[in-house]
Amino acid sequence: MSSDQRNRLDTSEDPGRDLKTERDEFLQKFGRGASLARQFLHDYEALEQRLRTLEAENAALRAKVEADHAVRDLLRKIETLEAEKAELLSRFNRAEEIRSNVVARMEDVELEFANLANLFVASTQLNSSLSPRAVTRRIKEILAQLVGAERYAMYLSNPEGTELVPIASEGVPGAQLVPVRVQGTRLGAVVESGAAAIDEEADPSQGTFEQPAAIIPLMLDERTVGVIAIFATLAQKNRFHTVDFELFRLLGRHAAAALVGASLFAQAEHKLPGLEAFLDLSV
Amino acid sequence: MAEYSCLIVEDSPMMRQLLVFALARVKNLRVTEADDGVDGLRKLASARYDIIVTDINMPIMDGLKLVKRVRSDPVHKDTPIVIITTEGSQEDRQRALQLGANAYITKPIQAPQVIATVKELLKIE
Repeated sequence: MSSDQRNRLDTSEDPGRDLKTERDEFLQKFGRGASLARQFLHDYEALEQRLRTLEAENAALRAKVEADHAVRDLLRKIETLEAEKAELLSRFNRAEEIRSNVVARMEDVELEFANLANLFVASTQLNSSLSPRAVTRRIKEILAQLVGAERYAMYLSNPEGTELVPIASEGVPGAQLVPVRVQGTRLGAVVESGAAAIDEEADPSQGTFEQPAAIIPLMLDERTVGVIAIFATLAQKNRFHTVDFELFRLLGRHAAAALVGASLFAQAEHKLPGLEAFLDLSV
Repeated sequence: MAEYSCLIVEDSPMMRQLLVFALARVKNLRVTEADDGVDGLRKLASARYDIIVTDINMPIMDGLKLVKRVRSDPVHKDTPIVIITTEGSQEDRQRALQLGANAYITKPIQAPQVIATVKELLKIE
């Protein structure tokens, strides 16, 4: 380049000093602005990151709180359900108790019904027989079938009341079937007292001829006219039950009367008494 | 509701009456009575029964013979049979069960036991 050309450049393109300073200042300012902008951007990014972190923390906290609520709700529900369960269990136990009581009561009623049926059947059979033989057979049947007696005998007092004479028996050797004195004997003591002699604690299947399991007085019009002696029961009958004592009472009250009634009917040759016999009863 | 029929074979009128009373407690059970084994077989020939309750010691034909005859009868060969007897020994029980009886009750009978046995064999609630 020639010096002329250089001079032309100097005059036309070379900025003035002020302009250069101004440009530098502007560039300086621009650089600072750019740096500041970068700083802002950096801060902005940092803040944004921080915000995201806080939001995440917040969400986590919110979830935790919600979870705590859910747990509390579940716990409350569990408590409610536990209370309901306890209530239901208590109601179930009460119902079970009532059911057991009803079942036990039903069993008692059934047993009572069975006992009454036994007594009804015994009474019907005893009082529907019209011959002394049939009455005796019924008495034996009651003893064998309903009481479960294996060895027994029925005695009636002689007219003097000093002896008991065997009139029917089962399972007793003939040699033992002899009249028994009233005085000083077990059988006689029952005739004298009019009260049954039964050892309720002893096993009746183990009774003997000398120590009978039960001696029942036979009553007629408040007098003892004989006894039934149960020497031993069947092996499977190892104790007397309530119904047996009821049957003893029934036999004691009805057997002698049935026997006497049947005897009188037989003596009258099975003729019914005339109507006049009932007309003068004054009742 | 299903109706069942029961044949009671027993020579003692007292025991028969007692069994009828007891079995009257079983709902829908119709009871027929027979005096002994022969009478029992006659009734079995003329009708079908769902259960038979029989005594062992009976005149003319005893309960064990009846069980044997019933088991050879095509109509009643599977009919449940309850034996009622005074014999309480294990051998007697075994003998009756071997002949084909389904249950064994010793006298003196307890009505609730008879009812429970019949209900169980008939599968009644």
